[in-house]
Amino acid sequence: MSTPTALIADDEPLLRDALERMLAQVWCELKVVAQARNGREAIDLFEAHRPDICFLDVQMPGKTGVEAAQHIGRRAHLVFVTAYDQYAVQAFAQGVLDYLVKPVEPARLAETVARLQERLRAAQPALNTEALLEQLVTSLERTQAPTTLRWVRASVGQTVRLIAVDDIDYLRSEEKYTQVVWRDDGGEPREAVIRTPLKQLIAQLDSTQFAQVHRSFVVNLRAVSHVTRGPNETAHVHLKGHDEVLPVSRSYLHVFRQM
Amino acid sequence: MALAFGWRRLLLALGLSALFGAVNRLPSTAPPSHVTIGHAIAVGLMAVLAFGLFEQRPLRLPSWLPRWVLQVIGVVIAIPAGMLLAHSVSMAIDIDSAHQQAQMTGLIVLLVEGLLFGPWIALGAMLRQRDIFARDQALTFELERSELERKALDARMRLLQAQVKPHFLFNTLANVQALVDAGSPQASKVLANLIAYLRAAVPRMHARAATMEQEMELVRAYLELMQMRMPDRLQFALRIEPAAAKLQCPPMTLLTLVENAVQHGIDPSEEGGSIDVDVGVRDGRCFVRVMDTGVGMKASGSGLGTGLSTLRERMQLAFGGDAQLHLTEIEPRGVCAELNFPAQPCSV
Repeated sequence: MSTPTALIADDEPLLRDALERMLAQVWCELKVVAQARNGREAIDLFEAHRPDICFLDVQMPGKTGVEAAQHIGRRAHLVFVTAYDQYAVQAFAQGVLDYLVKPVEPARLAETVARLQERLRAAQPALNTEALLEQLVTSLERTQAPTTLRWVRASVGQTVRLIAVDDIDYLRSEEKYTQVVWRDDGGEPREAVIRTPLKQLIAQLDSTQFAQVHRSFVVNLRAVSHVTRGPNETAHVHLKGHDEVLPVSRSYLHVFRQM
Repeated sequence: MALAFGWRRLLLALGLSALFGAVNRLPSTAPPSHVTIGHAIAVGLMAVLAFGLFEQRPLRLPSWLPRWVLQVIGVVIAIPAGMLLAHSVSMAIDIDSAHQQAQMTGLIVLLVEGLLFGPWIALGAMLRQRDIFARDQALTFELERSELERKALDARMRLLQAQVKPHFLFNTLANVQALVDAGSPQASKVLANLIAYLRAAVPRMHARAATMEQEMELVRAYLELMQMRMPDRLQFALRIEPAAAKLQCPPMTLLTLVENAVQHGIDPSEEGGSIDVDVGVRDGRCFVRVMDTGVGMKASGSGLGTGLSTLRERMQLAFGGDAQLHLTEIEPRGVCAELNFPAQPCSV
């Protein structure tokens, strides 16, 4: 059997060196052939060296360890290294993927090494991880992305700034863009443009705070002063400190029924 | 009991009785004024006695009998009783004059007056008292509520400040372990930075404010830790005007901005970048600017903002709306976060 080889990918250099040192203690034949600083480098170095084993940090800039793993597929045995993070650890604990939690404990590393040695000796192919990785990607995404938007990125004249959603009075659809009417720190009404269609924005807004009242209007309920009924099952939303009045169309009237 | 026979009530009863007594003296046939006034006062005091007694006793009433009804009935009974008492006192003093027609008429008039006006005066007194009681209670409620609100705010502030992320802590400890294992002389300095960071970041129970200078040291400890972790990807520069050094800085304010710049600007970037922190004071306001040349807002996506949202809330609580936080994108890449709030010398 030829000398087993490995690749270590982590964006923190001290941790790459530490893992290499620990591996040397529990598995002296293993040769670390490459160290990668991010997911993209991990892929490049994997292609260049074709190691038997890849130790991949999950959170890396550019491409993540999971994305690098998807590229590598079954061409190497994969071991994920993850920071202490309840969700990530949970995601791994459910599957059969090998993983280590930082700071890496020598006993845990020894177990993992024993398993890898066994697989190499039996010339077992690497686990088919495709479906598992797919699951992992979605579960990690779900835990990382907040469910609702807190800030929107909008253009005010020449500058691009972040507007806290709490400061928004209402949003108006402008085809591919969305116009946002918000209050600056002095409480003055301002307007800005978000380069996202209203439809896409709605899905990300907190539905207890924002309500669609018309095909092209979404209003921040905290900015509403009162609602008046019009003829024909329509209504108008009056906003605090605004002269403008927003239309409520029949199909959205239910929003105010309970109020 | 003190409340039932308070001086105000007694004086009011004496005043009103004397007034009625004086009015009753007006007809030419009326007995002398000391008699009419004396009688009226006796009746008035009896009424007050009944009013006060039934206000407190019996302690419990059947549900079909409201206390005010009992009090009014008490007053209505007390008036003839008072009249009889007054009459017997008169008889004891001067048995002849007590039987004179004038005095008898006067007593009847007094009885009618008492029965006509007594219950209304009693009702008026009750309404007034209820009003005072309600106002008292409202005031107590208000006090309790504002106290509760203040406590809730305090708790919220502490919660918002408590944000040492296990992710950060364990990753940093992994680095410390790596340094110790390698026998690096750097290990001790890194531990010192970590201790400085934790001391400030673990929620402080009493310290509500720190100086700008202290906050800057915390930021330095944090950035040095991060620089050890990603030496090839992070540069930083910290500048603080001497005039701003002793100003008050709500805890974790500057740190939150810097952590945000690292997490959402530098960390997701393969090449990394630099972070520039400037603190100054102008026109009585403290200005803080944190600029990074990281990936910018677009690339950092929706993860951005939890820290900044809580910072906004904290500033709102600390300065009641007199703080401003601006985030703008800078060219060619990166984010500039600017914060300003009233400059206050640190009282601690």
